[in-house]
Amino acid sequence: MKTIYRNVVGLMMALLLAGCGKTEVVERKVIDNTEEVLAYYAAKPDFFSFKTLADIPTDLSWEDGSHLPEIGSNEAVKGGTLYNTIQDFPRTLRRVGPDSNGSFRPFLLDYTTLSIAHRHPNEFDFHPGLATSWAVDKENKTVYVKLNSAATWSDGAPVTTDDFMFMFFMYQSSYIVAPWYANWYSTQYTNITKYDDHNFSITIPDAKPDMDSRVLELRPSPQHFYKELGDDYVERYQWKFQPTTGPYVIEEKDIKKGVSIALTRQDDWWAKDNKFWRNRYNPDRIHISVIRDTPKVFEAFKRGDLDQFGLNLAEYWYDKLPNDDKDVQAGYIQKSVFYNQIPRPTYGLWMNSHKHLLDNLDIRTGIQHATNWQLVIDKFFRGDYARMQTSSDGYGEFSHPTLKSRLFDIDKAQDAFAKAGFVNRGPDGILVNDNGERLSFTLSTGYEHMKDVLTIMKEEASKSGLEFRIEVLDGTAGWKKVQEKKHDISFSALSASLEMYPRFWETYHSANAYDNAFLEDGSINPERKVKTQTNNLEMIALPEMDRMIETYRASDDKAQMIDLAHKMTKQHHDYASFSPGFYQPFYRIGHWRWIRYPDDFNVKHSRSAGEYYVHWIDAKLKEETLAARKNDETFDPEINIFDQYK
Amino acid sequence: MLNLNPQTLKKLRRFRDIKRGYYSFLTLVALIFVVLIAELWVNSRALVVSYEGDLHFPTYTAFHPGTDFGLSYAYETNYRELQEQWEADGSDNWMIMPIVPYNPYENHSPNNIYKPEAPSLSQKHYLGTDTTSRDILARLTYGTRIALLFAIVYMVAVYLIGIAIGCAMGYFGGTFDLLFQRLIEIWSNIPFLYMVIIVFSVIPSTFAIPMRIAILLTVMVLFSWTGMTYYMRTETYKEKSRDYIAAARIIGASNTRIIIKHILPNVLSTLVTFMPFTVVSAITAVTALDFLGFGLPVPTPSLGELLKQGTANLRTAEWIVMSAFTTLVVLLTLVTFIGEAVRESFDPKKFTVYK
Repeated sequence: MKTIYRNVVGLMMALLLAGCGKTEVVERKVIDNTEEVLAYYAAKPDFFSFKTLADIPTDLSWEDGSHLPEIGSNEAVKGGTLYNTIQDFPRTLRRVGPDSNGSFRPFLLDYTTLSIAHRHPNEFDFHPGLATSWAVDKENKTVYVKLNSAATWSDGAPVTTDDFMFMFFMYQSSYIVAPWYANWYSTQYTNITKYDDHNFSITIPDAKPDMDSRVLELRPSPQHFYKELGDDYVERYQWKFQPTTGPYVIEEKDIKKGVSIALTRQDDWWAKDNKFWRNRYNPDRIHISVIRDTPKVFEAFKRGDLDQFGLNLAEYWYDKLPNDDKDVQAGYIQKSVFYNQIPRPTYGLWMNSHKHLLDNLDIRTGIQHATNWQLVIDKFFRGDYARMQTSSDGYGEFSHPTLKSRLFDIDKAQDAFAKAGFVNRGPDGILVNDNGERLSFTLSTGYEHMKDVLTIMKEEASKSGLEFRIEVLDGTAGWKKVQEKKHDISFSALSASLEMYPRFWETYHSANAYDNAFLEDGSINPERKVKTQTNNLEMIALPEMDRMIETYRASDDKAQMIDLAHKMTKQHHDYASFSPGFYQPFYRIGHWRWIRYPDDFNVKHSRSAGEYYVHWIDAKLKEETLAARKNDETFDPEINIFDQYK
Repeated sequence: MLNLNPQTLKKLRRFRDIKRGYYSFLTLVALIFVVLIAELWVNSRALVVSYEGDLHFPTYTAFHPGTDFGLSYAYETNYRELQEQWEADGSDNWMIMPIVPYNPYENHSPNNIYKPEAPSLSQKHYLGTDTTSRDILARLTYGTRIALLFAIVYMVAVYLIGIAIGCAMGYFGGTFDLLFQRLIEIWSNIPFLYMVIIVFSVIPSTFAIPMRIAILLTVMVLFSWTGMTYYMRTETYKEKSRDYIAAARIIGASNTRIIIKHILPNVLSTLVTFMPFTVVSAITAVTALDFLGFGLPVPTPSLGELLKQGTANLRTAEWIVMSAFTTLVVLLTLVTFIGEAVRESFDPKKFTVYK
């Protein structure tokens, strides 16, 4: 009879052990794909062109971002080890393919490698990365790039035009088992032309106001490293560290599977003295250990085993590391709040308007009024967060200037439900219509840490006679459910990258809701099928919206796009299938005294304190602080609020 | 109770004499009774409301919208606020609230922020509140009730299946026995936790919470009845070869009659001794599953969920883990004491000790 318990314990051990598998040594056959790549280029002459320097137009206006200010602080010093943590050991060191899009990716790719050029995190304009200069030819939808001839991979090989051509070969191939890449890199780009080893141009299908970003944010693939790219890519490159254009490399001895992994700074990084890269990426080593449980991470931080800890959650900022905490009062640990400016992840209720009852506008409107976000913000988030107004907040003039989200209002909710036929309440207080249907929906989420938000909303919604059945799934299962459009209402968020204007096609176009949503005469196709694996989570299919999205996508006129963005936002608001939730206008962290940040703490468009690597470790302060801690000496407490970008 | 044979009576008397087990038993019975009537003492609904001369007893009835008591809203009356209002107005209406005037789901925060609050007599949060300001005593009471009922139903189900199949295996023997033994060997090697996770990922969430609890119960039962069959099988084998069974068979008793009337009563002592430990393992398992996040659906009150909250807030809200931990320890200790006493009193070797 103890079997269950034994099973539970046994399984937990099995799960733990699963992380510690031995590295297999498999003899793989040698591949050299050089010929294959050349043949591929030759087979697609429209996409891969070869020309000479003389073919570059002479009337281009070249940009090099030299008017932009530096990013790093000149007080920064190099050195030290930064102790960091991650919840799960990375499943792979590959940058694309299965399992590569995990929480380790920022360390491996997003925050630590260089693209052709980067958006300046304070000014939004581009500053050079791998390129020295670039030019946009709007008429021909082409961007010309001059690579920095000093740019090298971490194994010493120079970064050349070939690596960009190869990038297209790699991402378009089926070897990498990444359908999104195959689709994006073959439809969103139409040509790459090589002029010489350091000059090339890339063409995209539509001219856009921000067409430069689509090209400039590309990151090359080292052709010499992927010489063995083939059918066994997924296994062959599973634990191989791709040479990087950035400052940090991962050495084989630092990969301790299931336990820890470390990044090591290259002393001779080619860009270390470049204007936009100096005084950044300061620690010599970034040691990342695996700790699964947040409370344990916090304990490790309090012991001094970790240098920093994110205090975004109110319970950590106010209760677990309050301002009167003795380590904070003694000045050993400093607390900082930084108000940033980024497009916010769209936390809210995504209603599946394909579902029975939810296809009724009155019911959707009622649900909006029955959802008490303000209470969640005031009481659960303690007033730190703010209410989101539309699904495209934070895009400057592209965001709707006046539109407000619907407020919690029991009377309005009841009126709306009554219009949809829900007038009487059952014995449990939930509304029932004449057919005996209860006004009850499944509210699912993949965010385990947000389940309290849902239980609070469930209690509040019952006041309007609406029942939420809460379903908390694990992250992957939760996402799968909405991707398969099986949800009633989902509490989730789509994150947005730093872009000039919001995207509408992915989320609101009928092509992402149904296959052949409409017949030729514009009427609804009675045989249309739900389209899965898209981000149209609300199942919006409105011909009017489709037309606006198509015009918006094709437009290169900023004023027209702004106008359309406002109109689409308004129509989306009227459709009432998205109940905007909250956003966090800042990030906050606690860090030991020896972790130093620039005087203004960080850059405007940073998502987290570590994203742009502007911090550094002060070895002397570390020694001093540790000694002081031993001898009970104290410093002035530092609790800083940086609201210059609020 | 009426026609117990003297043997059984003797065993029961022996059980009464083992004081520790006996008092544990009485305590547990009292505890079960107390949690069964939890609605009467832990509830946000009033026990008695006297409104304009009429008496209302809302505890077990359909909900009373606020309009029933002259309030403006159509949702469930907030009895606590109404009581305060009546007292402030000096109105003739009155009501009696339960000792703990909270239900296990509502977020009630005295200071307008949802966070754990220490136990407070004046707020009537006798054990404090959890991370979203829900009353811990209320969640503990209803959580214990669910765990106990869950364990009892689990035990009954496991026994029914285990006894039926075990008996049949022992009694019929041969190919049937061989077949089922192999089947059980395979079946018991299927990892139970994975099955729970898999099953829960495919069942539609449109099911109501009681339904989902029932499914969890079914899955757990399906993967735990096998242990019981081994004991039953050996016991039945042993009894089957005894003379009185042969005699019964010669008289012409049917298989069913032999199993139910003759074999079962004689193997009962083996079964009874296992019972409390089954209950213990069920409570532990459902708590462990909740702790891991695969148990009862949110926001069902549960011991495991409270324990999880407690361990995450050890430094700042130690009362959460203390209440959950104490309850679990008390509950499991009581059941274990009962189990030991039962085993001792049903032990046939008691009077055959050679010295």
